[in-house]
Amino acid sequence: MLSSFDPRISRLELPESAPPPSDKAALDQFPTYEVFHQRKENAAYVYVGPVHAPEADVAFLFGKEQFSRRFPCTGMWVVLTSAIQVTEYGDDQQSVYDRLPLPLLPADQLAAADAAGMESYDIFHLKKRGKAHAHVGQVSATSPEAALQAAKAAFGDQRPVVNVWVIRSADLLRSDEADRDMWTTTPDKKYREAISYKVQDRIDRFKQEG
Amino acid sequence: MYGSASTHDIPTKATTGLENEDPILLAEFEARIARGEKIEPTDWMPQLYRKQLTRMIEQHAHSEIIGSLPEGTWITRAPGFRRKMAQMAKVQDEVGHAQLLYSAAETLGKTREQMLSDLVNGKSKYSNVFNYPTPTWADSNVISWLIDAGAIVNQMANAKGSYGPYCRALDRICAEEAFHLKYGHDAVVHMATGTPIQRKMMQEALNRWWPAIMTFFGPSDKMSTHTEILMRWKVKMATNDACRQQFLDMYVPKIWEIGLTLPDANLRKNEDGVWEFSEPDWEDFKRVINGDGPCNAERIAVRRAAEENGAWVRRAMQQPQAKYVRPLA
Ligand SMILES: [Fe+2]
Ligand SMILES: [Fe+2]
Ligand SMILES: [Fe+2]
Repeated sequence: MLSSFDPRISRLELPESAPPPSDKAALDQFPTYEVFHQRKENAAYVYVGPVHAPEADVAFLFGKEQFSRRFPCTGMWVVLTSAIQVTEYGDDQQSVYDRLPLPLLPADQLAAADAAGMESYDIFHLKKRGKAHAHVGQVSATSPEAALQAAKAAFGDQRPVVNVWVIRSADLLRSDEADRDMWTTTPDKKYREAISYKVQDRIDRFKQEG
Repeated sequence: MYGSASTHDIPTKATTGLENEDPILLAEFEARIARGEKIEPTDWMPQLYRKQLTRMIEQHAHSEIIGSLPEGTWITRAPGFRRKMAQMAKVQDEVGHAQLLYSAAETLGKTREQMLSDLVNGKSKYSNVFNYPTPTWADSNVISWLIDAGAIVNQMANAKGSYGPYCRALDRICAEEAFHLKYGHDAVVHMATGTPIQRKMMQEALNRWWPAIMTFFGPSDKMSTHTEILMRWKVKMATNDACRQQFLDMYVPKIWEIGLTLPDANLRKNEDGVWEFSEPDWEDFKRVINGDGPCNAERIAVRRAAEENGAWVRRAMQQPQAKYVRPLA
């Protein structure tokens, strides 16, 4: 049996050595979701990172825990990784929209083309490699490819655009406006801010007494 | 905590495999890094870059998970409610760091399942300092302050590296580490400037931990072609010795100013501004990292137990139609 300085570990009665466990099965850790957060009211949603979760609701909980625990956050979106359409990556300073063939129709005609099959898509731009994708707006289109064309018409003058993510709006799970108060991080958790540790006085006093 | 390009790799053979890479793609890749642009997951990259970064980020993630264990065991026994809350918040941060880092490593192609398996079956390493015990509250404070300080030296350097997902994770991690460092410093100062018994306890903990701290950045780099390439590719941002010097420069004065001593008679800053010290016992380091340390068995056993105890929850939540897709960024 393992004996530890921590009695709770000793109480687990773990064997001193055991044969190594077999490798985990595929998807033991669940599929991946990508998470976007809003740092303050009216700010654009920005990509913060992935989480592994069995379904979108749980991904939302994990995302909230992982990405809003320590820093201000006023909203969060999650989406299954496989639901994101990704363009190729360009160089910094370039726009990947330049590599798309010109839209067949001007934006307004494109929008009117097939109102029946229209769906809303959310568009995210990466401005610089190593930074995070940020939400630039929505377009209506009949397919992700058409949505990218519509995004070029709507947001193509922004630059640089290193990479674009296109997400069908219906695939994004969004925090509810009605639940805003869930983001009010408890202001009394001062003990996890660097600023609440002021130790210099104590050091100075110690040196004087020295 | 705890990222380092080579802390745990005692390099065997310096085969770079570069001769097998497409010279045009390689030139473009190197030009991008030389321009100061980051590499993103879907970019072409040399095998050596992928392999080395995967190992480095994975070991960093494991170190966060295992590193949270010695401090975690002190949550319930931390003196006072406020310290319990702070210790708990710090441990929770560290576990969160592991989550961010596993995802960053995953973008390079190794699954999270495989990384977690390799941790518990002993195939991959974590920072060797966590194979030592924390017998007192003061030992936990030494980790909070000085091991985190060492980790921050590494992480700040690595945050300027060339791989986009690792940089994104490190930016977030570094922001949280600021609290760890202040919290750890506060705890150590409190003990060192307290009663004679508190002071003695802190000095003894520091004496116990100092040899391990001196090995934290790993042995001197052999300046091989391998090291030279990894530095050119901004995988490795500073040599182990440079990191160690920076750490000593920043923290030895802070240790001395609160009346603590360090158990190395040769430790001093020479006229050239370079810290001299007794060479750490690298044979002992090798022995411990290869499994024969005071806490290796406990760390792995606790991790295995956690995996086993959570297995039924994961099984219950599994969706039969789920498909694995690498995280995007
Ligand atoms: Fe930390
Ligand atoms: Fe950490
Ligand atoms: Fe730490």
